[in-house]
Amino acid sequence: MYILRLLSAFFKVNVQMTLAYRTDTIVNMLINLMWLGWELLSLNIIFHNTTSLGGWSLGELIALLGVFRLVNMLVAGLIWPNTEKFNASVRDGSLDYTLLQPVNSLFQVSFSRMVIWRVWDLVLGAVLIILGIRLSGGGATPFNLVSFLFLTVSGAMVIYSLWIVLIAATFWFIKFDNNVTILQALMDSGRYPATIYPGWLRVIITFVIPIALATTVPMQALRGDLNGWQILLFLGVSAASFLVASRVWKAGVRKYSGASS
Amino acid sequence: MLHIYRRLWQVNWAEQWQYRANLLMYLLYWLVSPVVYLAVWTTVANSQGSVNGLTANDFVTYYLTLLIVVQLTSDITIHLLASKIQDGTLSGDLLRPIHPILTNILINNIAFKALTFIGLIPVWLVLCALFHPNYSSVTGSSLLLAIPAILLGFSTGFLLGATLTCLAFWTTRVYAIGEFYTALVILFSGQFVPLQLMPPTIQRLAEFLPFQIFCYVPIEIILNQMPPDVMLRNYGVGVVWLVISIFLFKWIWREGVKRFSAVGA
Repeated sequence: MYILRLLSAFFKVNVQMTLAYRTDTIVNMLINLMWLGWELLSLNIIFHNTTSLGGWSLGELIALLGVFRLVNMLVAGLIWPNTEKFNASVRDGSLDYTLLQPVNSLFQVSFSRMVIWRVWDLVLGAVLIILGIRLSGGGATPFNLVSFLFLTVSGAMVIYSLWIVLIAATFWFIKFDNNVTILQALMDSGRYPATIYPGWLRVIITFVIPIALATTVPMQALRGDLNGWQILLFLGVSAASFLVASRVWKAGVRKYSGASS
Repeated sequence: MLHIYRRLWQVNWAEQWQYRANLLMYLLYWLVSPVVYLAVWTTVANSQGSVNGLTANDFVTYYLTLLIVVQLTSDITIHLLASKIQDGTLSGDLLRPIHPILTNILINNIAFKALTFIGLIPVWLVLCALFHPNYSSVTGSSLLLAIPAILLGFSTGFLLGATLTCLAFWTTRVYAIGEFYTALVILFSGQFVPLQLMPPTIQRLAEFLPFQIFCYVPIEIILNQMPPDVMLRNYGVGVVWLVISIFLFKWIWREGVKRFSAVGA
């Protein structure tokens, strides 16, 4: 309950900050819509020239675009702004005040900044997923749907865990403020199924910067490409990566010595 | 004048060299999309033999050439200049007896290009080893014929980019406009897909817009895929747009500087 109250407090503060820049918010949403139009147009062009992309139909790719939007919301709405704040606070030492507060430091560092209008992406993502499932014939079984939902959440957890490790690295290498650029740079690969990429790229986005775990894998579950064991394996990987990440974070905080000392 | 350019080059080159780690990150950003599109289209081509007459190798050579060409024609003026106009530091540049955009910003652009190009070469060779392009259609003369197109593409792109950035004299939302412009460029320049696979209306539009000389035209010339009459017409359109962008830039710069009142002045 305490955590929920804190979250809603963070949310309120961020809403107030957004309201100070109303026109910017609207402009950003329009740009976001424009890119959605561009994404749909590019799918349209691809399927103008073919009927399936590596075995995936148009509907499935639209649903994948929806999942991609959700992951992108996580990255652009939470990870990106909180990283900026975190990097600045390590450099100038104001992280001290965060660590002194009687709340889980990781929680504070993860949620104190939110780009509120990105909630919009949640709606767009859901619409795209439903539309995509409808378009592809709606052949998904309840089991596929449930595993899809679980794997979407667990994929997001993997990305979040990777982020924790990346920012915790700042405790050891102070001048590491490019820490999340690599995640940003590879995001674009999440718009298409990882199975079409050449092996080396697939390995990178599955094991090193696991964007595919959050985009392609849930969609594979929805298509019924995964068996029960594989689904359990992915859920296990997600739980394990979060455990490792919170360990790394704790070790990092212990290593942190403030900017001036 | 040449002396000034040489000095500016030395300064800007040294300045860019300071940020070489960021340059690597920039390269990474820049590489991912073309490689993704390459994978998408080779998958389609492999599954059905060819797409509209284009084989998998045609796509591989197209996108690998694109990496080089777009690197050469792209323009970063908005990132160099918009903030200067907004926070007023442009006034320092205006005091100098040389045109700030056509000297410093231009040279800065080129220095950035030169340094990222040096970083791109090894990465490009690795990509070639991974994708095995068959470049047998490229000849010495096709490479030579593409050089003016690349120069034309860079000049027009630079002037249009500078014109767009000068909108910062009037509005604070120049980055939003810039993003819209980027989407247009990706759509009409052939960065997403070789233009012959676009819907006919987009192809028709692209023929009259300035964007295909940034990317599609030089690539097709290099790969020897463009018949001479089409090439001639595209060069014609390119020159017309270069002239238009010169006038556009001159006009917007004159009007903008008139309006400019530095922050804090």
